[in-house]
Amino acid sequence: MGIRIDALKCTACMACEMACGYHRDDGFAFLSSCIVPYRAKEKTDYFGVLLKEEETLVVARPEGLEINKIGEEQDPEKEADASAKPMLLREACDLCEDVEDHGPLCIQFCPVEAITLEEE
Amino acid sequence: MDYLSADKILIVDLAASETTEDELDEDLVSEKIGGAGMTKHLYEQHEDEDPIVIGTGLLTGTLYPATAAGVITAKSPVSGTLCHCPITLKLGVEIKYSGFDYIVLKGVSDKPIYLWVHDGVADIQDAADVWGKDVWETTDAWRKIVGDDLLQTLVIGKSGESGSDYAQVCFNHWSSGDRWGFGKAFGGKNIKGAAFRGMGLLEAAKPEEFVERSLEILKAIKPNDFMGKRGVGDICAALGHEDVTDWLAPIVHRHSACYNTPYPTNTFAYLDDDPKLVTETKVKEPGILITDIFGLIGFKNLGLSAADSCRALKACAKYGIDPTAVAELSPGKSLEDVENAFARLSGSPPIAGKGVFSPWCPTKPLFGDFGLSGGDETANWWERHQALASIFGIHPIFAVMCPQLTEENMLELANIGTDLELDKDTLDEVIDGLCG
Ligand code: SF4
Ligand code: SF4
Repeated sequence: MGIRIDALKCTACMACEMACGYHRDDGFAFLSSCIVPYRAKEKTDYFGVLLKEEETLVVARPEGLEINKIGEEQDPEKEADASAKPMLLREACDLCEDVEDHGPLCIQFCPVEAITLEEE
Repeated sequence: MDYLSADKILIVDLAASETTEDELDEDLVSEKIGGAGMTKHLYEQHEDEDPIVIGTGLLTGTLYPATAAGVITAKSPVSGTLCHCPITLKLGVEIKYSGFDYIVLKGVSDKPIYLWVHDGVADIQDAADVWGKDVWETTDAWRKIVGDDLLQTLVIGKSGESGSDYAQVCFNHWSSGDRWGFGKAFGGKNIKGAAFRGMGLLEAAKPEEFVERSLEILKAIKPNDFMGKRGVGDICAALGHEDVTDWLAPIVHRHSACYNTPYPTNTFAYLDDDPKLVTETKVKEPGILITDIFGLIGFKNLGLSAADSCRALKACAKYGIDPTAVAELSPGKSLEDVENAFARLSGSPPIAGKGVFSPWCPTKPLFGDFGLSGGDETANWWERHQALASIFGIHPIFAVMCPQLTEENMLELANIGTDLELDKDTLDEVIDGLCG
């Protein structure tokens, strides 16, 4: 099972980031989220979503998914955003395994169904 | 105040170039709730020094839907009345997470400054380098200094520096809901703006219950027809300007939402690259984020093409001037005329509502009628909804489209989140105090 993100549906609302932050910190914070819409390229309107998994950093770009093995050298030209680096220090997605009743909170809180749960 | 709060009020004495901090007293929250309820109170406390008060709502930055908003409260230098401008995009939430619930800017600085607020620390910085620069250049310069493109800014352009009645405080690079000339108020105090960044944590009294109820409310919102719609074009259509969607469509790049707001109220138009492009453009400034519905409609009504209307919006955002006023008062009807009019506008654009809450937000329900019959009933409903949105930190446009965001559940969530016992009587009192 894994999280799949359709970056073209995403509206960069940050609900997933806050939902994940709540899952980590039991309060409202952005500090520890392992799913983050990257939104630093505001003037070019280029945005998508970053997801840190156990061994990979998924960059859901509007033009398609990019899956980077953590630890391997990245092409600096293709670095999604300044947000990617701090993500590497955060805990990986655990699919909200200890959240009863709901399952992955980012999926629940995404207002536009841009995130889904899929069999690997 | 332990919950849903950074527990700090910042007082900036501009004349003395000093900052002080107060705690946010729980009793005061029990009385004024938050957002505009509190900013108005702080304004009155410091009235002698003609303050500008910046704040966030009690629910801003949480998982309750649409909790994007903050508020700027000040006396309009144009109308002379106390009024409120909503803070949207990701700025409201950044203000709260930067470590202060409220910021009072009082007095006048003897030289241009800006405020840099980050992780519970506030510094008054020299703004000599950016005085004279436009809104875009200033935001870019501040982001460069800090090395962080996620820095969120409140900023004035040349319009505010020169004391124009139509000057706006802009958000990052974009136009705002400031129809009150607050840009002039900032300029008059020698404040170029403020920059915010923070990684705070807001605790909730009963976090699980808060999240549970927020999710139930979001689930009730999702079946609404408007959830299949997008951006400013569909809002214009809901306002009776059905042709805007098709007129704008050829230049629409993408739609985006303010923090945690289910409907994306902002639309990016590409002017200098292919709007269909999904990879990142190589053009540095390819277009404009349309954040002002009536500015767009106003330029269209002048007879401008969609691209020229968006060029006019971009020029307004850079100059820091209210596009709706420009469209209304521009003596000429070409893009060149509009741009040349910035420094020479005169007259007063009509203001819908009582002049307390910004008619940047449409003054009637969107995508439904909320059972209203029009006339005074709708006008009073709108004022009350704007008051509610400004108190709790709800996106004002989403507040007029979404029947599931009710006074009852805002109060309920505020009580779950804070452990206070806020009731309808207190809310009515705060709203009456705001609406008069
Ligand atoms: S499933 Fe849970 S842990 Fe994984 S990204 Fe979503 S909210 Fe975070
Ligand atoms: S919640 Fe959905 S729409 Fe919002 S930023 Fe996350 S993926 Fe994008």
